[in-house]
Amino acid sequence: MANRLLEVSDLEVAYGDVGALWGVSLHVDPGTIVALVGANGAGKTTLLRTVSGLLKPKGGDIRLSGQSLVGKAPQEIARMGIAHVPEGRGLFRQMTVLENLELGAFQPKARPRTKELLDKAYTLFPRLKERAHQKAGSLSGGEQQMLAIARATMSEPSLLILDEPSLGLSPLVVQQMFALIQTLHSQGVTILLVEQNIHQALKVADYAFVLQTGSLAMQGTGADLIADPEIQKAYMGVLE
Amino acid sequence: MSRTLQWIAIVVVAALAALPFLPGAVDAYYFSFLFFVFLYAIMAQSWNLVAGYGGQISLGSHAFFGLGAYTTAILWTGNYLWGSLYDSHPDIYYFDPVTMALGGLVAGIAAVIIGLPLLSKLRGDYFALGTLGFGEIVKVLFVNGGDFTGSAFGIVAPASSFDTLRPHYWVALALMVATALAIRALMRSRYGLALIAVRDDEMAASANGIDVLKVKVAAFAGSAFIAGVAGSLYTYYIFHVGPDSVFDLDWMLLPLMMTVVGGTGTLLGPILGALVMYAVFDLARIVVPDYHPVISGLTIILAMLFLPKGLTRLGALRRLNAGRS
Amino acid sequence: MIKLPPPDILFQLSLNGALGGAMYGVAAVGLSLIFGTMRLIFLAQGAMIILAAYFVRALFYGLGIDPFLSLLIVVPVGLVVGWLIYQGLFRKAAAEEDRNVSLLIAVGLMFLVQNLMTVIWGGNTAGVVTSYTATGIEILGVRTSFTRCMGFLIALAGTGLVMLFLRRTLVGKAVRAASEDIDAATLMGISPHRVNAIAFAIGISLAGAAGVAVATTFPFNPFAGFIFSLKALVALALGGIGNVAGALAGGILLGLIEAYVQFFISGGWTNAIAYGVFLLVLMFKPEGLFSRPYKKA
Repeated sequence: MANRLLEVSDLEVAYGDVGALWGVSLHVDPGTIVALVGANGAGKTTLLRTVSGLLKPKGGDIRLSGQSLVGKAPQEIARMGIAHVPEGRGLFRQMTVLENLELGAFQPKARPRTKELLDKAYTLFPRLKERAHQKAGSLSGGEQQMLAIARATMSEPSLLILDEPSLGLSPLVVQQMFALIQTLHSQGVTILLVEQNIHQALKVADYAFVLQTGSLAMQGTGADLIADPEIQKAYMGVLE
Repeated sequence: MSRTLQWIAIVVVAALAALPFLPGAVDAYYFSFLFFVFLYAIMAQSWNLVAGYGGQISLGSHAFFGLGAYTTAILWTGNYLWGSLYDSHPDIYYFDPVTMALGGLVAGIAAVIIGLPLLSKLRGDYFALGTLGFGEIVKVLFVNGGDFTGSAFGIVAPASSFDTLRPHYWVALALMVATALAIRALMRSRYGLALIAVRDDEMAASANGIDVLKVKVAAFAGSAFIAGVAGSLYTYYIFHVGPDSVFDLDWMLLPLMMTVVGGTGTLLGPILGALVMYAVFDLARIVVPDYHPVISGLTIILAMLFLPKGLTRLGALRRLNAGRS
Repeated sequence: MIKLPPPDILFQLSLNGALGGAMYGVAAVGLSLIFGTMRLIFLAQGAMIILAAYFVRALFYGLGIDPFLSLLIVVPVGLVVGWLIYQGLFRKAAAEEDRNVSLLIAVGLMFLVQNLMTVIWGGNTAGVVTSYTATGIEILGVRTSFTRCMGFLIALAGTGLVMLFLRRTLVGKAVRAASEDIDAATLMGISPHRVNAIAFAIGISLAGAAGVAVATTFPFNPFAGFIFSLKALVALALGGIGNVAGALAGGILLGLIEAYVQFFISGGWTNAIAYGVFLLVLMFKPEGLFSRPYKKA
């Protein structure tokens, strides 16, 4: 219990008067891949944005290695070791690939080692090295996603949050994406993943939470949930 | 607006209307003070309509004010409306409602002409900048208008019409109250609902069948009309209409500040703001005559730092004002 | 019928216009930084430039410091003042993300500074006269003033330094990133307040440099600031928001337009034509004349 990297308890979030999350609890153990799945509008992105500080919760708690994140500004939370790749990737399109990566290592603790971290990133993402001086906005969809993830690894985060990484990508690229996620996992990176592509997400996840209209509907290991008939019926188009 | 507040308002207006009947009132200092408060309150309400309720920050209200002022001066001295009647009765235009309405109308039409292209193409900050540019262009046009507009010097109206400040006071008070009532009625109508919808979420409003452009232009034109009438009123006070005086940026900036200090998007805000701000400025002029211009800038900064939501949202006033916002 | 004057007159016109326009450009660069990070139209920029001009004048007549030398004082002071202005006046409003409040504080500052200058130095036109303010020099066979050229060089240097800062330093890149997408920037650990304060510091120091140029080139009064701000806005619109080099280019272009209008039509129309161009650009090419279409997600 005390070993949990991320602990979200009874989180309540609202947009003005409109409620979005009603007392959601989840957790991420270190070194695991945790998937957060559910239909559109279930509140997955809202939850991630609250964890990284872009939204302020109405109630509940979020703890990273025991330290509370609630009320902290996003830049503080980033410095505590969370790297969030937002929906839409959040790349600086007018800036080059290299500049985006450099900014990924902006934090004081990563900055002095930028060169070393850059080499590491290029080893993992060789295509980015080729395009180092191209504007990020000119890259293909898959390359942009790679860049976004690479940029996030530049800060050597203890928790990597990925919001819909497969969005808008072709099936082949999506495969490559998930292979990449596995690779990162094998290097010891802890990952919290939000995905609409439930099948892929559950395949790769150690543990998963299912969100339905702002509340937790189900949780379990990836394998258990894939086999679950409810899940199959509701999300994977399996009949009967 | 709660019942209590309505009654207070009626009593206050009645008291103000009765004020000129007090002996010595007309020559007292507070008389012209109140006149200016009313005038600024009208301009503030005009700005509040397009910016507070409409959500479109306009920085060109001084142009409409000036247009109204000039229209009145030109009609008056060019005796276009009543023709030969003017020669024997030059003051036929003095506080003539038709002239004043025309002042507002010219401003309103100008607003439609400039508003259609600006509002269809520009959003937010860009629209504000556009209106700013427009205001400056109008000023230059009038400076270069030759004999028709009196060039840089302007037009002088027959000062012989002036008797006392009473009509100014009453007309200003009446206009201020009429504007408030009109805006109140407007915001309660279907149009008002549409305006707020457009302000809060244009896309949703248009998805609901609201003609966004028409709504915006109407607010812009209505606001300009009010400003034009105010300008007309000012002509009757100053008797000399020149580009530097009636197109002065202050006619836009001061009412804007007054509205924000009082509370944007509220009915009382502009009026309260006008009263408080003008009182502060005037007090500064008396108390620290050498430094008083500095006070205006200081006041705005302090107000924005400590009271950004405006006075009407403050404590007791909020309770009284419950409802319309 | 407009008779075209001989080419050397045209050239002189263009040169003087361009050199003068660079001052609008430098003001526009400051505006661009502040708008980029805070989405605030800092209407007080012109007033700050005039304030700097008065300061330069005071340094010269009071302490005998040459105006161009006073750049060494004015620019650092501008950095500090800009930083302080942000922390004291705009920080809270920026946190609340209320753009109207920020705009009004800028307007209030403009009033305050304008009137402060009137109170301290009087409302009459002032100027700085040194041994070289009347000196003319020849460029490519055409006469122009020495101070105007210096002003141009100051503008060029200032813009160049800012561009170097934005392109080559990590902090500069952070400023660019924050201007493009503030949320994504915070996720990198970039503090919006830091970035805003830096933008303000640079903006005001540029105003200081522009003040030196203004003080040595033409007479000024406390109320000239607002027109300057407007012209800087026009320059910004011409150049394209977010484009630092474009802002300078926009200023030069505006200077050219003004010079031509003044010559061929009349001085009274220069402002109207400038604003007219401004409106046209805003409506039909809001990304500016010099930048490629701005791709915003």
